[in-house]
Amino acid sequence: MRISVFLTVFKTISISLLKRCSYPCLFNYLYKFDNQETLLEKPIIQLKFKLMKHVILKSMLFFASLLLAGMAQAQTVSGTVSEPNGPLPGANVLVKGTTNGTTTDFDGNYTLNNVPSDATLVFSYVGFSQQEVAVNGRSTISVTLEEDAAALEEVVVIGYGSTTVKDATGSVASVTSEDFQKGVISSPEQLIQGKTAGVQIASGSGEPGSGIAIRIRGTSSVRSNNNPLFVVDGVPLPSGDTSAEGSDIGVGSSAARNPLSFLNPNDIENISILKDASSTAIYGSRGANGVVIITTKSGRGGASGGTFEVSSEVSVANPANEYDLLNRQQFLSTVAAFGGTARDLGNDTDWQSLVTRNTISTNTNFAYSQNYGSGNVRATFNYGNQEGVVNKSSQERIVGRLNASQRLFDDKLLLTLQSTLSRVNDEAPPLSGSAGSTGDLLGAAYSAKPTWPADPTFNPGDRINPLNLIQNFQSLAQTDRFLLNLSGSYDITDNILAKATFGYDVANSARNASLNANSFNVSRGAAGNGRGALNEVDNDNRLLELTLNYKKDFGNSKFDGLIGFSYQQFQASGRNIEGFGYQTTDLDLMADDLNNAVGRLESLINGGYQQYGYSAGTGLFVNRLFPEPSNESLGEVSNLPLRSVFANTFDNTDELQSYFARVNYTIADKYLFTATVRADGSSKFGGNNQYGIFPSAAFAWKINNEAFAGDTFSTLKLRLSYGITGNQDGLGYGQFVRRQRYSDGSINDDGAINIPGITTVAFANPDLKWEETTQYAAGLDFGFDNDRFSGSFDVYRKETRDLLLNIEAAQPSPQPFFFQNLDAVVLNTGFEVALNYDILQGEDFNWTFGVNLAYNKNEIQDFDGRIAAGTIRGAGLTGAFAQRLQTGQPIYSFYLREFIGFDANGNPTFEGGVDNQKFVGKSALPDFTGGISTSASYKNWSASLYFNGQAGNYIYNNTANAFFTGGAIGSGNNVTTDVIDLAGVEGRFAEASVSTRFLEKGDFLRLQTASLSYNVPIQGVGFFKSMRFNLTGQNLFVLTSYSGLDPEVSVVPGGGDLLNGLPIAGIDYTSFPRPRIYSLGVNLTF
Amino acid sequence: MKIRTIIKPFALSALIISALISCTDLEIEETDSIISKDTGDFTFSPLADPASSLSDLYNKIGGDFQGQDNIYALNEVTTDELLVPTRGTDWGDNGVWRQLHTHTWNSAHLFIKNAWNTLNQNIFRASEIIESNPSPAIIAEAKFLRAYNMFFVMDFYGSVPFREVDEGPKVNPRVLTRPEAYAFVLQDLTEALPDLPSTGPDLTKTVKATKEAAQFLMAKLYLNASVYSSSGEFDSADMDKVIAAVDAITASGFAIESEKSYFEIFEPTEDTETIFFLRSEVAPRIWNTLHYNQNAPDNTGGGWNGFSTLAEFYDKFEGDPNTNYEGDGQEERRGIVWDNTNANDLNLGIGYGFLIGQQYDSDGSMLKNRQGGPLSFTKEIPSLVGNTEVQGIRLIKYHPYDPIPDTGDDTSPFIESFRRHQVFFRYADAYLMKAEAMFRKGQTAEALTMVNTLRSSRDNTPALTSLDESSLLDERARELFIETWRRNDLVRFNQFTSPWALKEVSGDPNVNLFPIPETALLSNPNLVQNPGY
Repeated sequence: MRISVFLTVFKTISISLLKRCSYPCLFNYLYKFDNQETLLEKPIIQLKFKLMKHVILKSMLFFASLLLAGMAQAQTVSGTVSEPNGPLPGANVLVKGTTNGTTTDFDGNYTLNNVPSDATLVFSYVGFSQQEVAVNGRSTISVTLEEDAAALEEVVVIGYGSTTVKDATGSVASVTSEDFQKGVISSPEQLIQGKTAGVQIASGSGEPGSGIAIRIRGTSSVRSNNNPLFVVDGVPLPSGDTSAEGSDIGVGSSAARNPLSFLNPNDIENISILKDASSTAIYGSRGANGVVIITTKSGRGGASGGTFEVSSEVSVANPANEYDLLNRQQFLSTVAAFGGTARDLGNDTDWQSLVTRNTISTNTNFAYSQNYGSGNVRATFNYGNQEGVVNKSSQERIVGRLNASQRLFDDKLLLTLQSTLSRVNDEAPPLSGSAGSTGDLLGAAYSAKPTWPADPTFNPGDRINPLNLIQNFQSLAQTDRFLLNLSGSYDITDNILAKATFGYDVANSARNASLNANSFNVSRGAAGNGRGALNEVDNDNRLLELTLNYKKDFGNSKFDGLIGFSYQQFQASGRNIEGFGYQTTDLDLMADDLNNAVGRLESLINGGYQQYGYSAGTGLFVNRLFPEPSNESLGEVSNLPLRSVFANTFDNTDELQSYFARVNYTIADKYLFTATVRADGSSKFGGNNQYGIFPSAAFAWKINNEAFAGDTFSTLKLRLSYGITGNQDGLGYGQFVRRQRYSDGSINDDGAINIPGITTVAFANPDLKWEETTQYAAGLDFGFDNDRFSGSFDVYRKETRDLLLNIEAAQPSPQPFFFQNLDAVVLNTGFEVALNYDILQGEDFNWTFGVNLAYNKNEIQDFDGRIAAGTIRGAGLTGAFAQRLQTGQPIYSFYLREFIGFDANGNPTFEGGVDNQKFVGKSALPDFTGGISTSASYKNWSASLYFNGQAGNYIYNNTANAFFTGGAIGSGNNVTTDVIDLAGVEGRFAEASVSTRFLEKGDFLRLQTASLSYNVPIQGVGFFKSMRFNLTGQNLFVLTSYSGLDPEVSVVPGGGDLLNGLPIAGIDYTSFPRPRIYSLGVNLTF
Repeated sequence: MKIRTIIKPFALSALIISALISCTDLEIEETDSIISKDTGDFTFSPLADPASSLSDLYNKIGGDFQGQDNIYALNEVTTDELLVPTRGTDWGDNGVWRQLHTHTWNSAHLFIKNAWNTLNQNIFRASEIIESNPSPAIIAEAKFLRAYNMFFVMDFYGSVPFREVDEGPKVNPRVLTRPEAYAFVLQDLTEALPDLPSTGPDLTKTVKATKEAAQFLMAKLYLNASVYSSSGEFDSADMDKVIAAVDAITASGFAIESEKSYFEIFEPTEDTETIFFLRSEVAPRIWNTLHYNQNAPDNTGGGWNGFSTLAEFYDKFEGDPNTNYEGDGQEERRGIVWDNTNANDLNLGIGYGFLIGQQYDSDGSMLKNRQGGPLSFTKEIPSLVGNTEVQGIRLIKYHPYDPIPDTGDDTSPFIESFRRHQVFFRYADAYLMKAEAMFRKGQTAEALTMVNTLRSSRDNTPALTSLDESSLLDERARELFIETWRRNDLVRFNQFTSPWALKEVSGDPNVNLFPIPETALLSNPNLVQNPGY
């Protein structure tokens, strides 16, 4: 009741605020400066201080008036606060029951005025046990704070603040840097893989820089983007890709690279995962899939003289698994056994080994951090070069970071800077989740005859020669990203903290791919002509956030309130360029030629345009939308290095404006209440639904603090939460309004271009809104023996409604699909268990063990439609699909022919006829996911093991379906040794329809990481402060019955190749082999 | 006191903040697309450039009709002209091809769904152009294109949904019955006619809508009127209109090609028969039938080894029943298979028409299949699945040989596997429509004369001595095979439900209409499923 009143009031206030838009306002001025100007141009800085000054002046008056009260009988107390190893800068000293306090300086000294002689001083510092000391008239009081190991790990970062595990009302998991996964880590999500119950993190393949799917508490969206919101140092990152998808230049499209690769895992201090709605509702329309908050390291822990840290790692990797393909002898005898005669060219080529490799990768970090009392600084530099186990795949990463903070004005003002500048160079082999019938590089390598010569100029006729393809293909992407976060927080009074944050995130990416004329048997006319693509994406995102925090301790109760405003702007622009008909076959020169041709053509064009193209015969044409639509023909252009060029551009900006509030109220340190609300306005939605209100509430009861609870439990806390969150990920730009632009267009296989015309690209839908998830959750945290044995148990129910999906329009309609809110529910219910036990706690010997397990059940309800999903690729599999979205079934439910066996002719037979597809009661979603970790240390040695696994899911082995059948042998392709046994059973001309024959269990247990490290005992001796060596093995073994290379797979085609726009899971089609990696690293501080 | 101390700074600070920040209206701006700002209740704002949208619609229709799947497959693979047998693992394609051939499709069939979406989308785009106040010439072209697409919706599915341009996504489109759709198409064509240009054979003009193209489509409408009205009776007045429409086409200069050979009509050069063509790729028509080892310099990967014809269809033609080499007594339209005496670099060893028996490479050598055996296409196809690479006669009308040198610096200017010149309406079809109309009116002798006039223009094609429904239908088959009209003809002659090889269902008149796709039924409750589905 109270909540709803509060909500109504909040909504009224916020909507009235929103409607009262005045221009030009300060805010818009701030963000309307020209794109070309750099961030550090004057306006931002000036405005920042202007804004701070404003806040400061008003609040000073207020603060001063508060101080007038307790001036009587005052004295001054000074002293030093230390920890066992020395003075402690930045420790808090507070007169108990008042707001009078200070922090210690660089040498741990403090001076506190106006201290009543009978007062008690409270000394505290994060990670140390608090001490209370009665003044008793003394003027000098020095204390030494003891480390509190429990407290140290208890701080968890939540949205717009932090709390401790003991005080958290929601379900928040926090993983700190000591607990991160070790070894070769190409993006931050991998750091927490298997660490947290209910968080499933699966990289689709073993390719460096490939995208990663993260599911927190199940899959709630039927759309292709189910990843959580990432917040880096307070800046929510855009959900879109920062790199371009790879165009199909003859071997299929490919997905964008992982947008988080730009973060150096070594810079990360902590990753918090917000799982329930009470934690994520503060992020409103983006919180439904959970929130991952990444906090980077600061110089806070650095020594006063500064610490240098160098870590370096060298890794060797090899494919962890490979297919057992037939060699020449086996091939010849198997073809014969199937009743055929093989064309024997006399060779014995192992194609698989020719396209894969063993690699050496390196990663080096330099860090400098210093804490000088009133501030700290940390600067890092990272260079890493990871080579993929498939030829021509690599990721090079160069990242610099500068984090600094400075306290000013009696430490009341804290200025913080977090910035990172990165360059990621990706090299991708010709692999595609949507390769045609001849397959991509890996498909070609698996099916290539061993009798072919290992010669890139050998043309096998209708198939791809893997060596020819890899030699004549190149795809290089460069992504530069700059992320800056400037914030200022000011203690207006001891209770009130105001904070302003400016975020700026710019990422520029260009991918240049070429397939030259020497290639054969590829598509899109690339053979004999050469085809190339240049895909550029520029992201420019800005953030302004203002929050005001009020904290008050009333003795028996505590109040913590937050209100805030946030504005975020996301601009994505770029161009997609195709080239055709190259004069050179040199891959670098092809890229240069395309760039030069583009430069030439663009120099001939005056003014702006949406697209242009050139082809011999047609000449140069330009299509403009503004100021008026026009087509211009500029005639022939002589001496272009290409026969055809086509360029199309895009430029979209979306905005998000939000108001939010949170109240925490704690009574007697037993009863904790949290309520949050966020009003989110998004330019992605139509006028009828631009703003959404997302409320949540939570209650926690610290039962162990009750007298009746006794001493059995060191922790016993019950948590209950409820909330509504939204999701707008994957919804493109301007999907609620009718928009017109020129059709995308492309260069035809003969090099000609059909000049595109203007068409309606989006249909008006003013009712379009975010997708909404209501989550009910309950949890119990418990601990015994001072939390030596601890754990938590959580249950939840998530109901997702108004599912956003690009569904088939009721025809006639301008587009075949348009975004609608589906009238259906996706229900996720589940539980999570996490247990930790410190088996041994000793001076020299420690041993801990942890396990987490999550169960999730997914079901679609109340859905009228039946939508095919899960495209299957391969020769004879065009239009084939393996999954269907339908009510009563989980998402990613397999919809297949039930395979019975083979008939007398060796053709497969299926239950109910040759084309009877039906639900087979199996889904790609696992029932159980979990992780097991254990670590032990003895003196300077420590070792750890991490296992992760899942159970209950099924994988469609599309690779086997497409390549490893009797029919494949009949077509003269190579197969695996498994096929040998099918001679006489399966016919050599048998078809291979999609069926349960290729559906396999996906259960697995993987030894993800094993590491051993040694701390060289050099403390206080010589130049070095510390020296540590570690040896890590990753992906050491997998227990699974799955016959493919790896059970943790998902093909990721380009977005346009997804059947009905639905995402794909649990389908393995020539996935990039996952590597087994051994790393040796050294870490030095001095 | 305490409450006040909480509220006061909060309220004060809230005021400060709200004073500092104003707000954004959250409107997207016209940066890369033209935005219709009417985001409240749906109203139609005219297209920014109807001429440009019209040209885009031509591009799109060309693309929609060029593929071997969807519209083409529904028109041809459902008939006795074509089947796509599963060869080893190839062409299984989730059963879509065999379901078409065996008439066992259902409302979830991929091509039935895609054709529905594509054709109706084109109708809406044409409506947008018509309602944007462009020039009368543009309206006329758009109306022709709308009629052409609606013709196939009506022909395939019976019912035709229609959405006015000012009806937003919340409106369930109304549904025209087949007779209403017939009237709609006829009205569009009638209204378009005065503002369309009239032309004789002229490649620069027949690439767009003309009076003659509209008259051709009107002739198709009148000829099939009995099907669309479900009367089953050919109305004499309709037949007169067929004759009048074809006579108008003839009057503007189109004629049976007398100079060029039959297969040259499909080359991108001027001929007297092409009434309407689009610059869409002919590659699928060439390569979907040829074997992997039959290739061209600009398509070294060769064909896709799929589409074949039935033995009984091949047997409709004059000539040796088992081979089709030079001198086998075949009529011109059955084409030719080159052998070691006449395969050369220009014809690439790739024949015309019906490819049966041993195939040869451009150097005259015998081609092999992928197992090393002879590439010799068999006449019989024993089964829909489990076939070898060589089973089934192949048939092509377009050929990679291209007599027009490319304007670019292509190194092989006479080979154009991917050229874009797809013939949609051809005079011989119009001519046979007129003959059929006369036949339907009882003027059998005149009709026979016309048929024989056409046959005399094709080499080695002797005159027929009599004409009945069956021989008229067969003549259309021999003249117009794989030109997208076979299903339409079979339905009109009431033969679509007849049995033929490897077809499971026969005699069920419900298959004369495809089902409304299940996705369409779900998205528009005004639609009613056709009987039998």
